[in-house]
Amino acid sequence: MSANMMVVVVLLPIIFGVLVPLIPFKTRRHMTWYVEGIVLLTSLLVWALLISRPDGSFTLFRFTGNLSVSFRLDGLGTVFAGILSSLWPLATLYSFEYMKHEGHEKYFFMFYVITYGVTLGIALAEDILTMYFFYEMLSLVTLPLIMHTLTREAILASRTYLYYSLGGAAFAFIGMIFILTYGTTSVFVPGGVIDAAALGDRQGLMLLIYVLCFCGFSVKAAMFPFSSWLPKAGVAPTPVTALLHAVAVVKAGAFTVIRVTYYSFGTELLRGTWAQMVVLGLTIFTIVYGCSRALKETHLKRRLAWSTVSNLSYILFGAALMTPLGLVGALSHMVFHAVMKICSFFCAGAVIYKTGRNYIHELRGFGWKMPKVFTIFTISGMALMGVPGLCGFISKWNLAKAAVSSENPLGYLGVAALLVSALLTAIYMMTISIRAFFPGKDFDYDTISDVEDPNWMMILPLVIFVIAMFVFGLHPEPMIAALESIAAAMN
Amino acid sequence: MNGWILLPVFLPVIAGIFLLLMSQCERRRLHQAAGAVLVISAVLAVAAAWTGDKSVTLFYLMKDIPVYFHIDGISRLYVTFTSIVWVCVGIYAFVYMEHEGGEKRFFGLYLIVYGVIVALDFAGNLVTMYIFYELMTLTSAPLVLHNGSREAVMAALKYLFYSLCGAYMGLFGIYFLYQNCDTLAFTPGGTLNPVLAQDHRTILLIAVFAMLAGFGAKAGMLPLHSWLPAAHPVAPSPASAVFSGIVVKAGVLAAIRTVYYVVGPDFIRGTWVQTAWMVLALVTVFMGSMLAYREPVFKKRLAYSTVSQISYILFGLSLLTPMGITGALLHTVFHAFIKSALFLTAGVFIFECGKTRVSELTGIGKRMPKTVWCYTFASLALIGIPPACGFVSKWYLAEGALNADVGVFGWLGPVVLLLSALLTAGYLLPVTMKGFFPGKRDGEKTSAGNSEMKSSAVDIRDAQKKEPSMMMLIPLGILASLTIILGVLPNPLIDYISQLISGLM
Repeated sequence: MSANMMVVVVLLPIIFGVLVPLIPFKTRRHMTWYVEGIVLLTSLLVWALLISRPDGSFTLFRFTGNLSVSFRLDGLGTVFAGILSSLWPLATLYSFEYMKHEGHEKYFFMFYVITYGVTLGIALAEDILTMYFFYEMLSLVTLPLIMHTLTREAILASRTYLYYSLGGAAFAFIGMIFILTYGTTSVFVPGGVIDAAALGDRQGLMLLIYVLCFCGFSVKAAMFPFSSWLPKAGVAPTPVTALLHAVAVVKAGAFTVIRVTYYSFGTELLRGTWAQMVVLGLTIFTIVYGCSRALKETHLKRRLAWSTVSNLSYILFGAALMTPLGLVGALSHMVFHAVMKICSFFCAGAVIYKTGRNYIHELRGFGWKMPKVFTIFTISGMALMGVPGLCGFISKWNLAKAAVSSENPLGYLGVAALLVSALLTAIYMMTISIRAFFPGKDFDYDTISDVEDPNWMMILPLVIFVIAMFVFGLHPEPMIAALESIAAAMN
Repeated sequence: MNGWILLPVFLPVIAGIFLLLMSQCERRRLHQAAGAVLVISAVLAVAAAWTGDKSVTLFYLMKDIPVYFHIDGISRLYVTFTSIVWVCVGIYAFVYMEHEGGEKRFFGLYLIVYGVIVALDFAGNLVTMYIFYELMTLTSAPLVLHNGSREAVMAALKYLFYSLCGAYMGLFGIYFLYQNCDTLAFTPGGTLNPVLAQDHRTILLIAVFAMLAGFGAKAGMLPLHSWLPAAHPVAPSPASAVFSGIVVKAGVLAAIRTVYYVVGPDFIRGTWVQTAWMVLALVTVFMGSMLAYREPVFKKRLAYSTVSQISYILFGLSLLTPMGITGALLHTVFHAFIKSALFLTAGVFIFECGKTRVSELTGIGKRMPKTVWCYTFASLALIGIPPACGFVSKWYLAEGALNADVGVFGWLGPVVLLLSALLTAGYLLPVTMKGFFPGKRDGEKTSAGNSEMKSSAVDIRDAQKKEPSMMMLIPLGILASLTIILGVLPNPLIDYISQLISGLM
């Protein structure tokens, strides 16, 4: 598989996605076949790429000088592209069933498919300009997805999202300029590209720029104080909240943070400085803040969104430790959280789709009426809590291991924050399950007699996620070994 | 091949899951199946424990962290008393659970929790222990909310969150020990790397304290004790019995493993951690007894009593001397039998007469003398009146405190233990005394008032003598007589424990 395949996987969903509303499909079924076909084809090509691991890079076109849009597959990109290509076909399958009741499906699937190509562009970007380009594009193509229902709430939410994203991108842009100015090259190199000689005595300035850049990119990862767009964006249809706002978009934020930290600025420059303390402090605060907000929230999807805020900061915390172990922890949580959170969102979506209920207090007794969905929801909740045997335990272990061995006092504080967050997670997830399964003695099941499990298109992805949670939880070694080999390149 | 030692783990767990998933079946068949699995697993567990030190690695969770089981002296002790109590209470539950309903779920979970606890006892390293510790919490929580009332659900959530809070504090410590120990496998005397430990002394002490306080949550140590009095009254009595007798002991086991098998007693001897641990334990001993003394609801009173008694054990452990540990381990075994016997009698009172408050039990001795005698024996043992067994363990605890080099606690400890013993007598014996000697009827003394209480008390006194069925009485009798037998003949157990400890210190 040659390197030019990379441009195919990025462009294929974008081009064919644009065609979705233009092709006059005879029936809805034809459209779903077409969409699932594109997504599956792209995923197959991505998997072929991931297996063959072509070494070269491919330049799509060149601006002036050394500025270009070019792709290259490295270890970090493999992880992100692997997550995306595994989850996208399943989420698409789920959304065929879900979107029946939302309407405007053609436009929805157009943007849904385009987003796939754009996020792959971020994963495969070889240099910071390409990454920035796709990062901006991601904000724009996901905007209509949030706006989908066209209610006042949705439009306000998408406006918030746009302002936050563009603001973040502006800070990121400043960072990019500095990297291009003081870096030896614009491409990503493990260990960083900043030329100490060119930098001279401007190190303090560079650290400030790093903090700005970190904050800018982590707007998408919903770090405090830039987190409030994410729960608002929960008005979008569930496939969007599940795939984009728990995995693709927010993890693109975490991914870009890891890129600039480990591959552009370089951990050598940053480790032990005040800049590291600031970003560590922010991530630790967000870990606890997100959980506390989740606890207060009574709207099911918004509660999960706040939980995402907290969990993404686990990833950022790992990244901000700036050690190879920290990177392993961050990447493992990136993979595992993707599975856990998309699973719990899909369960929430199944409830909304089948019953139209949105609030947690309305779910009493649902456990016996939707046994499959709520069993799976409980398992995903346990995985998020970090019950051993499920994948959440492994990534928390790796993060804590990195934090303890970093010998950084803030790292120790971070370990405590992880565990406080685990307890809060237990509280906000388990209360839902207990309420659903044990509604109380006097509960009248006739009031929810119409509630039932959804059909196989919704259950199948859930079952696959549960299996993945157990496999990663009980036999994580191959995955962790692969992540360690990526991190080993840092030294 | 040592793999068969995991049979007593897998057999009850699989059978329990099977029971839970199975469709409704006849009661008798259910009891036969559950009883058979329970007895077979218990025999297998004891057999596995008493056929030498064996170890088995199930699989590698991470590349340097195996899920590893190793049977040593502590495992043997724990598995033995756990199995005895579990079988006795199980047989009792066959009758008792009739009036609670939901038997299929109860016995399914009862078997699963047994398997998990055996695995916890057999665990050979800290991570394996943690895994089963947390699984025990999750699988035992539904036992608390068995009757499904709002109160029970709230109590179960409280139990769940307190236990998880404790477990996460434990996990905090495990993270640090993982970095600073040569291995997390249990090794008598500890595995702390001396060089690393010296460098990270402050944070390690904090970590160890977090573990002790965290595992103390399960053992009902202050400040995380309040799940016990919430959970016990609402849980079915057999569940209360195993909770108080066995499940809380998991916290003790975790503390023993942490201090004596991973960190090493020398690391915390004389530090603020030891002092803080001792203070917390002693305060809990006293507070628990005081609260039990004031408590009118019978099962809640017993729950507070557990809070107090488990901290006897923790106090013994915190002394870090052979004498202290001997006392602690003796009390662990004795308390398991005593407290499950006490809860079973509380269950009989509820099952036969529907009485939950102490004041309603006036005259109960006339109605069911054998049951009340069992209660009395167990009470005497808990108070520590010779020849019942509590005397032996308390003797060792007090002796250990006096001989340990712990400053003011050397005499303060025994004083608190003694005070608490007095309170124990004060909160347990009135049931016997009022039960056998109800005195004159309230109505004859005061003509007016208390009409409701009077009528309920009259019920019992006027009732015919009627003992519970043999299925309930025999397990109760076995547990109660064990408390006396072990008091009269404690030497085999003491010898076994001292042999165990000689390898430890």
